[in-house]
Amino acid sequence: MAESGAAPALRITNLRFRYESRADDERGWALHVPGLSVAPAEQLLLTAGSGRGKSTLLALIAGLTDPQAGAIEVAGTNIHQVSGHRRDRFRGTHIGMIFQTFNLLQGFTALENIKAALMLAGKPAEEQDAKARKLLKHLGITRPDALVEQLSVGQQQRVAVARAVACDPVLVLADEPTASLDPENARAAMDLIQGICREKGAALLCVSHDPSMHARFERREQLDELAGVAEQPA
Amino acid sequence: MTDWTIILRSLRARAFSTITTVVTVAVAVALMLVLLTMRDAGRKAFERGGGNMHLLLSRDASPLVSVLNGVFYISAPRAPVLFSEFEQFEKNPLVEWAVPVQLGDSFRARWPTLATTPAFFTKYQPDDTNPWRFGAGHALNADFQVVVGATAAREAGLSLGDHIVLTHGFPTRGTDPQAAHEHDEFKFEVVGVLEPTGLAHDRALFTSLQSAWIIHAHDRIEAAHRAQGEANHDHDDADHAHDDEHEAPITAADLTDTDRKITNIYVRVRTRAGSDASASLPVLFDRLRRGQGFPGGITVAQPRQEMSRLLDIVGNVDRILLAVAGAVMISSGIAIMLALYNSMEQRRRQIAVLRVLGASPGRVFGLIVTESAIIGLLGAAAGTALAAAGAVITAEIMKQRLGLVIESRLDPKAVIAVAIATVMLAALAGLIPAAAAYKTSVMRNLRPMG
Repeated sequence: MAESGAAPALRITNLRFRYESRADDERGWALHVPGLSVAPAEQLLLTAGSGRGKSTLLALIAGLTDPQAGAIEVAGTNIHQVSGHRRDRFRGTHIGMIFQTFNLLQGFTALENIKAALMLAGKPAEEQDAKARKLLKHLGITRPDALVEQLSVGQQQRVAVARAVACDPVLVLADEPTASLDPENARAAMDLIQGICREKGAALLCVSHDPSMHARFERREQLDELAGVAEQPA
Repeated sequence: MTDWTIILRSLRARAFSTITTVVTVAVAVALMLVLLTMRDAGRKAFERGGGNMHLLLSRDASPLVSVLNGVFYISAPRAPVLFSEFEQFEKNPLVEWAVPVQLGDSFRARWPTLATTPAFFTKYQPDDTNPWRFGAGHALNADFQVVVGATAAREAGLSLGDHIVLTHGFPTRGTDPQAAHEHDEFKFEVVGVLEPTGLAHDRALFTSLQSAWIIHAHDRIEAAHRAQGEANHDHDDADHAHDDEHEAPITAADLTDTDRKITNIYVRVRTRAGSDASASLPVLFDRLRRGQGFPGGITVAQPRQEMSRLLDIVGNVDRILLAVAGAVMISSGIAIMLALYNSMEQRRRQIAVLRVLGASPGRVFGLIVTESAIIGLLGAAAGTALAAAGAVITAEIMKQRLGLVIESRLDPKAVIAVAIATVMLAALAGLIPAAAAYKTSVMRNLRPMG
């Protein structure tokens, strides 16, 4: 898990990003986050209107795309200074991601979805099965050997959550995790996500524009305000 | 779980596409292997047709025709060679042995008959290294005996002790066996059945030269009598007496020099022990070409060279076939590429997920190329199995139709070469889809999200 216990799970410093295709846009940055820090095991709700760059921010944090300026540290490591496959491995071992559409590996069983995550994070083959089964059982997945497409939506959501935390990440990024669920399932899903993150000691950065989420998070930030606050004194 | 699991799941998830692609590759591989194997085996079967003879003499129009007639029984040579010419030639000090052969008759106008001397079975070997082997009975030791080739015996249902009559004329396509003239005055006894040699000889029947001469002498005398009878209406006693005389069996004593005709001479020149090459061969070949010893001229052929020349001409056909097989291979490679490339559209999300879970673009690239190579490998394996079966069937057909025994075992070198080529071609075909996978944008493919 985190190499440096004291380091925040996530620290963003003066992050600026714009799309390559819009580089000549003189009006400025598609995304500007002057500063944001999430402590270990802390849970933060980040809200923003549609198209305000929430998903882009998550991609930047996960190291899937590079910013033009600024730094993103996950557990003390500047992910954008890690290159090539090491960055992919770092993501696999330190960051868990949960998506609105689950993004499970179709044609794979629930168990295999978890084992794929463990394998890609470098966990030895002989440890994968026991660990994956234990986790699935813990999260109430009753048919670990069924293909994911044969599971109910609720069960699929559980598999997605299980996969995100399988490698004991420092930070879990949840991108609109409840957007495709009915209120009841949404509540259950958030209970599960927040519960398991707490249990595993993983920080949670949840991005959503669902107002019903507010009450669940002690700390809430508004993406536009983050930038605005920073730019005001300038 | 390993990368293999991911590859196998991916192949399984698109089972229909995987199977059809593998079948496409398998057919191409099988075609290639059968052609490669058969080409080689067919060439060998033809080239060894001449057995241990060095030269084949005849009065055919060309050396190639001479070989086709004299070794492969395509048709009966038109112009004869006198036995006296053979006797003279046989004395040539450069000649190790010479076997006289007469072609022209057949059994039921279907199986050719070769009339020869016992030397045919003792000196001439159909195979460079193996002498004749008898499945039953023995070689010719008297007149009016026949030894039957393995295929002829099987097809005609002949066995030891059977008595048969020969038919005048060589088997030709479209001949009505009923219309052919049978030498039914003379019965031949089957005294030997040969083991298969894999050559055209398997379809032939063998008898003694003297028997062949006698039946033709009989025809000649009978025809002469008929002509005489028609010219002379007064049947005197002497004529009747003569008739009675020709009813009696004709013997060797009745043969004239013109009856003693042959069509071919199988020749082996003297060689040093253990060597097939001989300095005498070009000398004799040259002398014969100039007609030395044969006042009427002679066509001299080196069977192996003639077959090699023929195959070089015909070889163009198998080069075309190989090119076709190559084209099929390449199109099967394109089929793999298309199958994978089309699947990329559905797999972008899966690839993006793998990337999120920690797979590097290089690893994803490797997964796709490996998957492609596995399709190639499966295709090569299935194709080899198909070719093995195909080779056995082709060999059987060649044996049945052409009397050629060919090695039906696939050449391991060809199998390995084709398998490696297939896997490489498949991996190559995987490069474009793999590049597409490599470049897959992770975030774009994980939406819909905000």
